[in-house]
Amino acid sequence: MILTVQDICKRFGQQTVLQGVTLSVAERRTLSILGRSGCGKTTLLKIIAGLVKPDSGAVRLHGTEIGQQLPEARNVVYLYQEPLLFPHLTVLENVAFGLRVRRASASEIASRTGRMLEHLGMESHAKKFPHQLSGGQKQRVAFGRAIIITPNVLLLDEPFSSLDPETRATMQQLFKQLAQEYGIASLFVTHDLKEAILMGDSIGYMADGTLTTFANRQEFINHPDYGATKEMEFWSSLRQQTTTEEYAASV
Amino acid sequence: MLSRSNLDRAGFLLFLILAILPMAASLAYAAGYSVGLVGLLSEGFTWQYWARPFQEGNQIFASFVFSLLVAGAATAITLAIALLLVLAARRSLDNGLLAHLSTIPLALPGTVLAFLVLQWFSGSGIAARIAYALGLLQTPAQFPGIVHDQYGVGIIIAQVIVGVPFFALLFAQLWHNQRIRQLMELAQTIGAGRRQRVAWVAIPLLLHGAFPTVILHLVAVIGVYEVPLLLGAQSPQMISVLTMQKYGMFDLQQKPEAFICAILYTLLSLSLIAVAWRRMKHEQSPR
Repeated sequence: MILTVQDICKRFGQQTVLQGVTLSVAERRTLSILGRSGCGKTTLLKIIAGLVKPDSGAVRLHGTEIGQQLPEARNVVYLYQEPLLFPHLTVLENVAFGLRVRRASASEIASRTGRMLEHLGMESHAKKFPHQLSGGQKQRVAFGRAIIITPNVLLLDEPFSSLDPETRATMQQLFKQLAQEYGIASLFVTHDLKEAILMGDSIGYMADGTLTTFANRQEFINHPDYGATKEMEFWSSLRQQTTTEEYAASV
Repeated sequence: MLSRSNLDRAGFLLFLILAILPMAASLAYAAGYSVGLVGLLSEGFTWQYWARPFQEGNQIFASFVFSLLVAGAATAITLAIALLLVLAARRSLDNGLLAHLSTIPLALPGTVLAFLVLQWFSGSGIAARIAYALGLLQTPAQFPGIVHDQYGVGIIIAQVIVGVPFFALLFAQLWHNQRIRQLMELAQTIGAGRRQRVAWVAIPLLLHGAFPTVILHLVAVIGVYEVPLLLGAQSPQMISVLTMQKYGMFDLQQKPEAFICAILYTLLSLSLIAVAWRRMKHEQSPR
């Protein structure tokens, strides 16, 4: 396992946000975490990234405890809900940021950034500033900037929640493709049931600061408590109803 | 009742009548005076007054360079201190004691500010007496002359005192509006160390956001009057002081030069404002 989180607890004042959260992510795999707003998903991601300190519990990368490591030393990238780009940098400079930080040579930066922009389909926008991009384009750049440094784990905090359905579907595909191509392990947080099933190799459900994980999608779908079966039944009954109505109308 | 568009038109007309027209009329009069078309000395069109600023030993050119240097130095020092403050004491600037204290220098009139600087930094001022009491000087008169000096140090100190709290509060506001905390966190998870985050994210973003205000501040410092009048040297003088001096002289031959100073200062200000405006326009440019 590349990432192991064990028994993490966190309180803010009197409020318990996380209680005994345990999970693991295998290499090149994505764990989707489904949960409503305010259930502690963001806090969990920030603890893994090192931006928030847990009250207890352990975070391990490749089996090594990283609780005392600074966020910049973890190589775990946290992506915010909105595509947060550096507004004073161009698309090219945004994507190259992580390589510049690591003092990569100019030629390496140029070649890797060029290749990444090509993957993202953003070559023609390289010299644009973030305010000149659409929401989907910004998200592409944010992905590129995170993935170019091949992080140990990518943490995505509802990254598509502000996009329209069509762009959202495109971005889901693009993310899966990039994660596979660059061999990235990721933790994908969402409140959308369909998205959780679509994006995750395995799925977790979070409520009131506790996390229940499922080894695979089927196990999650079959569980009666999490609504997947009901949702599927709803869509199939709707389809059946529409087909019947269409048939009746044609007769 | 007036419709919205009529109200807009009326507002624009009022602005035109009260702000633009008087300014344009003054500039036209100044331009006419500077080429001998109007005024007591008027003898018909001539470029002779405009040739003077470019003649050797003329004060106008030196005064412009001096004003630009003083304003540039004051603005640079102000920005450096304000940046340090916002990076070191942002919480206190947000809603702590510093936020309240910062407003005090902002409320000081220029004359009072100049007087304070004079009290502290003149040859027999408080700073000289403290240095003498601490044994750093043998007599208070040994205190370096930083008021009425040829480098404009006194003027710079006064402008920094009033500029630092203003920019510190502006930077604290920008810190929230531009979501710099989140961008710093993001940069941190991408691998940026503390210095890199400050140098590559916080400082460029703060300066980027404050750019139009920095330009306006620069323009204001170039044209500031009371402070250089009370703290400046006889030569070189800040452009505002020189302009008023030439305007009020008994020698009427100097008057066209006062108008030339005013025109040149206006052109300089408008050019700087155009730079800020162009930058703002670029940032609002569509996809």
